[in-house]
Amino acid sequence: MNRILILIGKIIVKLLRLVGRSAGNLPGIILWHLTRGQCCKMFKIDCPIIAVTGTNGKTSVTNCVAQLFKQSGKKIIINKEGNNLDTGICSLLLRHCDFSGKVKADMLILETDESHVPVVYSQQKLDTLVVLDFFRDQLDRNGEMETLIRKINAFCKTFNGNLLLNGDDPNTARLGKANPNNKNVKYFHAEPYAFATKEIFEASEGRFCPFCGQPLEYEYYQYSHIGKFLCKNCGFGNYDYYISAENIDLEKRVFYADNHKYTPKLNSIYNVYNMTAVAGVAKLYDIEQNITDKVISGYTVKNGRMENFMLGDRKTTLNLAKNPVGANMTLRVMNEMKGEKELLFVLNDNVADGLDVSWIWDINFSIFERVTRVVTSGTRAYDIAVRIKCSGYDASKIVVVPDLDNAVEELAKTEGRKFVIANYTAVQPTRTALKKYMSRSENK
Amino acid sequence: MKLIKILHMYADMLDLYGDSGNMEVIKYRCKMREIECVVDTYSIDSDMPDFSSYDLIYIGGGADLEQQHISEDLSKCREGIKKAYENGTFLFLICGGYQLMGKYYRDADGNEIKGLGLFDYYTVAPESRRMRCIGNIAVRTKITGKNVDVVGFENHGGQTHDVKTPFGEVRYGNGNCSKSQQEGYFEKNVIATYLHGPMLSKNPEISDYIISYCLNRNSSETIRLKKLDDSLEIKCRQVMLDRLLK
Repeated sequence: MNRILILIGKIIVKLLRLVGRSAGNLPGIILWHLTRGQCCKMFKIDCPIIAVTGTNGKTSVTNCVAQLFKQSGKKIIINKEGNNLDTGICSLLLRHCDFSGKVKADMLILETDESHVPVVYSQQKLDTLVVLDFFRDQLDRNGEMETLIRKINAFCKTFNGNLLLNGDDPNTARLGKANPNNKNVKYFHAEPYAFATKEIFEASEGRFCPFCGQPLEYEYYQYSHIGKFLCKNCGFGNYDYYISAENIDLEKRVFYADNHKYTPKLNSIYNVYNMTAVAGVAKLYDIEQNITDKVISGYTVKNGRMENFMLGDRKTTLNLAKNPVGANMTLRVMNEMKGEKELLFVLNDNVADGLDVSWIWDINFSIFERVTRVVTSGTRAYDIAVRIKCSGYDASKIVVVPDLDNAVEELAKTEGRKFVIANYTAVQPTRTALKKYMSRSENK
Repeated sequence: MKLIKILHMYADMLDLYGDSGNMEVIKYRCKMREIECVVDTYSIDSDMPDFSSYDLIYIGGGADLEQQHISEDLSKCREGIKKAYENGTFLFLICGGYQLMGKYYRDADGNEIKGLGLFDYYTVAPESRRMRCIGNIAVRTKITGKNVDVVGFENHGGQTHDVKTPFGEVRYGNGNCSKSQQEGYFEKNVIATYLHGPMLSKNPEISDYIISYCLNRNSSETIRLKKLDDSLEIKCRQVMLDRLLK
C-alpha cells in the first residue's frame, strides 16, 4: 500500500513539474485525503528530525539550524518557508524519498506550524523540538493560543526527545512540565538587555502562572511578556538554564553564551533569543564552535527594502517604512510609476514599532496619483485607513482587512501594479503572507 | 458660505505625535460640509496677530526644550489670548499647550516656566526623567451631553494638579497625573488634554463639538452640522477600546 501511495505522490510531483509548477503543497493535500490524514506516516526516516515551532522566529531559527549541519558537511533536508503544515512536509518528503518511501538524508530540519506539531510528530519520530515563543496576535480571537498550547502540551506528555524551550516565556516553558519523566528538557534564556524594564510595557499574555493561577513575578521584562519570571507560589520558572545569552550589547551587536562571544548582524533582542536557541541546538549536537560562529554572525534577513514579489502576474513591490521619511519615499516612487496602481499599507503597533502610531500623520498622502485602491492591514489597520481618508482620498476606495493573509488575498484580487508599505514588525509577516499567497497560487 | 478662522500657534515647534493632524481632521470635516476653514499660523517672531478675530486657537505639544523656548514668546501673547478667550474664542490645547495655559510648569531640573495663568492648574515634572506617563489611554467625557469614550496616546512627564473641571474621567491609562482619575481640563470654549494620536482623528464627536461651537458662537440661529460617515473612525476607536477595556 505504501509503495502505491508513494508512486501516486511522485507522479503528481512529476506532473506538476512538467507543467511548470512547484510541488509545494498539492501532492501532500492529495495524499492527505488518500491516507485519511496520515500523509506523513508512510515515509521511512532513519535520521534525526529537528522541528522548530513558535509564533515568531521559526523561519530564522530553522534556516540557521539547517546551516549548522550543512556547514558540518551533513546532507540535510529543510522545508521552505510557508510549507510548514503536514501536507507541505509530506510534499517535501515525496521529493526526497525513493519508491519504498525511504528518505535519504543525515538530518531533517523542519519548520513546523504550531498547530501541526502533534499531527506530524505522532507519525514520525522526533529527535528535538525547539519551541521559541507563543504570542497572541492582537487580532486573534480570545483563547485560541491557549488551545494551541494545550495541544502541544498533550503531545509533550509522551515525548522523550530533546525539548529546547524558551525559558523566558511562561507560555513556552510550561511545556517542560508536561512529561516529568523526560530528562531531555532544556531551557534557553537571556539576561536583561539595556532596554529591559521592571514593569510590563504592554498588555499581554502570561501574567498568571499556568499551574496555580497566581500572578507571576518578573525580575525584568525584555519585551512583551518575555523576561525572567517566577511563580512564588508553586515555583514555576525556577529551573537551570541550558544556555544563556549574557552581556548583551545591541549597539555593538555582541552577546556571550557559555563564555563565548557571538557577533550577530541583526541588532534586536528578538534576534538574540533566536540565536541563543540556535546556539542551544549547536550545543546539543556538538557542532564545531567555528561553524556556530559563522552561522550566527552570518545570519541576516532580507529586509523588505524595495523587494519585489509576483502575485500571479502582478508585480508587487514591498518597502519597509519605519518612519514618515521612508513612507514618503515609497509614495514618491509609486507616483513616478506610470499607470494605475494599488497600495497595501500594513501598520502594527508592537513594542518594537513604538506603541504610538501617530507618525503616520506626517506621511503626505495628498500626493497620491493614479492610486485606484488602498487596502490596509495590521494591528492598526483602521488608524492608517482614517489617516488616508482625512488626507482627502475617497473613503469608498479604502478596504480595511486586519488579517494579513486576507489582506494580501484582497490586494491580489485585481489586476495591475501593486505596492506594499509595512512598518517594522509588519515587514516579515508581510513577506511571509506574500510568499504564502505565491505558493498557494502556484498550487492552484 | 460658512467660515471658521483658526490660529495654529507654534506649528513648527510644537508638533509632537502627529498633533498637527488635528488641524487636518478639522479641515477635512469642514470641507465635507462645505464650511470654509482658514488656518493661519503663528510662531516666534511672527507679527502679533489679532487673537480675538479667530474662532479657534490651537496649540500642540512639544519636548521640554521647545516648551522653554516658546514660553517667553508666549508670554508676549498673554493679553491677546486672554482677551480672545474671554470673548469666546475656543482654545484647543494639547499636552505642552495645555500645561502652558496654567500657572506654571516646573521641569525635571526644578526650573519653573511661567504659564499664562489663564487657568488655576499647575504642572510639575518628576525629578526622574524616566518617570513618564506613556501609552494608550481611554477617557470618558460628557462634554457633548452624552457619554463618549475617547481614545488617544499620552506621553508626558508633567503631572498636572488642581484641575477643577476635567475633560473626562480616565478609564485606562494615567491622565493628569500618574494613575489618576481625571484627564485634561474643560470649559465650554476650552479643551485641554494630554491626548495625542492625533486626538481628533479617532474621536469625531470632539471634532464636531469644536466645529459646532465655532460656527454657532456668533450666530443668531443654531447651525446643525451635516452628519458624516464616520464608520472608519468609530471602528478604529472601538478596536482600541476593546483592547484596553476588555
